[in-house]
Amino acid sequence: MNKVLAVLLACLIGGTVGLSGQADASKPIVTEAGSATAKTKLVFWNGLTGSDGVTLDGIVKKFTAANPDVSVRVEKMVWGTYFDKLLTSLVSGSGAPDLFLLHEFEIPQFASQGVLYETSEFFKPKGELDKADYEPEYVKALLYNGKTYGVPLDRHGWGVIVNKDLFKKAGIDPAKAPKNQKEFIDLAIKLTLDKNGKHPNEAGFDDKNVAQWGTFTSWSKPNFLSTLWQYGGNWTDGKGKATLDTPEAHKALQFWVDLIYKYKVSAKPAGFDGWQNLANQKLAFIPEGCWIYNFLTDNKVNYGVWEYPQLGDKKPAVWTSGHVMYMPATASGANLAATKKLISYLAQNTATWATAGMPAANLKVRNALKASEVPVAVAYGTSFKRQGQFDIAHVSISEIIDKGYAPELDNALNGLKTVDQALKDANKAVQEILDRS
Amino acid sequence: MLKPKSWRTGRYIAGNYLFILPFLAFFLAFTAIPIVQAVFMSLFDWPMLGKKRNFIGLQNFIKLMDDGIWWQALRNTLFFAAMTAGGLTAFSLFVSLQLNKRGKGRNLYRFLFYIPVVLSVAAMGIVIGWSFSTQYGLVNALLGTIGIPQINWLGEKELVIPTLAIATLWWGFGGPMLIYLAGLQGIPKQLYEAAEIDGASQFTTTRKITLPLMAPSIFFVLVTQVIAHIQVFGQSYLITGGGPGRESYTSIFYLYQTAWRYYRMGYGSSIAISLAVIILVLTLFQFVVNRRRNEVEY
Repeated sequence: MNKVLAVLLACLIGGTVGLSGQADASKPIVTEAGSATAKTKLVFWNGLTGSDGVTLDGIVKKFTAANPDVSVRVEKMVWGTYFDKLLTSLVSGSGAPDLFLLHEFEIPQFASQGVLYETSEFFKPKGELDKADYEPEYVKALLYNGKTYGVPLDRHGWGVIVNKDLFKKAGIDPAKAPKNQKEFIDLAIKLTLDKNGKHPNEAGFDDKNVAQWGTFTSWSKPNFLSTLWQYGGNWTDGKGKATLDTPEAHKALQFWVDLIYKYKVSAKPAGFDGWQNLANQKLAFIPEGCWIYNFLTDNKVNYGVWEYPQLGDKKPAVWTSGHVMYMPATASGANLAATKKLISYLAQNTATWATAGMPAANLKVRNALKASEVPVAVAYGTSFKRQGQFDIAHVSISEIIDKGYAPELDNALNGLKTVDQALKDANKAVQEILDRS
Repeated sequence: MLKPKSWRTGRYIAGNYLFILPFLAFFLAFTAIPIVQAVFMSLFDWPMLGKKRNFIGLQNFIKLMDDGIWWQALRNTLFFAAMTAGGLTAFSLFVSLQLNKRGKGRNLYRFLFYIPVVLSVAAMGIVIGWSFSTQYGLVNALLGTIGIPQINWLGEKELVIPTLAIATLWWGFGGPMLIYLAGLQGIPKQLYEAAEIDGASQFTTTRKITLPLMAPSIFFVLVTQVIAHIQVFGQSYLITGGGPGRESYTSIFYLYQTAWRYYRMGYGSSIAISLAVIILVLTLFQFVVNRRRNEVEY
């Protein structure tokens, strides 16, 4: 009996010991800012569970130090749990936080149901903030049925992060970004190596034993949208028609699929951790969001930054989004006044927020950022001014992305469907959602 | 003067109801009323945030029958439930038979094998995700030492559900094990003594005495495990996110997405009701099969 049981026990203990230290991901990480005896107590929810959340905590603590009559309980939870809790609290009308973050493309989804506080009073002439300090498309993105919802915190988005060590090892200048698709692919081929040191364009390349990948398809949504926009396409025509089964969408998705299966310069996305591979010197460059910044510094990656390259043939474009601050429509009294103060404070202190890699939404602040201090925020922010684009907002945007097209992109990139089939299915699913809503 | 009989009976019955009142209150609040509410909601186009709710009859169910994602999720769920319920029923029986033998540290083993059951699905999900990671996982690292190349456990269509089932097996076998141990200890010892005198081997004893007498426990475990694992959610939500593609989408995961991500409570309710009906049918089927087996004389 004992031999059999001992083997089983070894497996069991190994796992259980590993598990014992794990926190429950569904529980919020709480930071208390300010005095427990403060007259007004605010609750601020967000989904920034990484080190970017710690940076934001620091700004909130400065606010409570300057406003001792206010304390703020910051609750950070993973975005999935965050949306569950937020929605329940907004619907029930009780337990909602005083302040919370959403992305700009989610505004119609919430504003259409009347659960957001209208915020035009934050902007001139009534308020301190000036809409002229924000990009016109950002100001437009805050509008729903002619009313303004939310106050922008940042404009984050997509670019490319480079592992300088691997470039130097290959004798390639990491500062020289590819200018088009061909240069992008050539560079990725030069930087992909199998265990015998061969490149994918050499005879005998062993694609089952790749020691170093040139690039990676990363998060499919911003990559696909950026490329699709560059080809002049979009996921909808904005008039109720899905436009994913189009030549533009085919070219955009085919490019990323070809990197895996034709050029063999990227791993299949399922089961591949782009960030860890970059840090472990096994990935040369990766399209990625600016929120990777703290990971890069924490892991001492010798990194460089490129603007998102021109991969399509029609226009420059790159996917961007924004963290926007909101209050529930039911906000009132002393908490409303204190929350307004906090929002204004956060909106005017986004230079500190940029130290987490997030370019400030306020252009004056963004323009004053120094590359020597916040290199990722500056490089990405510069790119966004030139080619940044917001996604089309829609009342069912979460469903359109998560149910409509993202799983189909995943299917194509993982070789489970052809590009043609994946886009046909995506188009059908998105059209069904558009028709319904 | 004696009180009327009906009054006395009524008072007696009321006293009984008083005892079950706490359970009844919770049962009504958290089970019965939500079930009725779900049936009601499934007949509406019911956006969670919206104020307007349109009665649409059986339209949600009709749409569901034509919903490819629902069918894919159901296929994945049934595959997972079959593997997990079958595996748990057999594996925990095997462990229980080992633990029922006399040996050193038997109680310690029982305790240690039960431990994973108390872990949350969130904790289990995180470590299983790490353990089965293609490049940095413990499992591939161990296999690598004997020359087996890296396996993409959670990224391959054919492997993702079996991997989740293996993880669940490790996590959940302690519960059925306890039920089996209770059943094994209820088997009269004289049956084994008689078999020993007759010269029966250990295998024969297990086959002819233990397993037939354990049949009710095995059936109970099988039914409860099927019901439990058709409702799988945490594993796909936390470990794979339903991917790759939709290869590990499960019915409850789809229900969750529909109701809580896309705020379509009516359609989500129709998924819940449909799944409940499937579980009911499967359970009835198991009972029918079991009754037929019991009719065979031993």
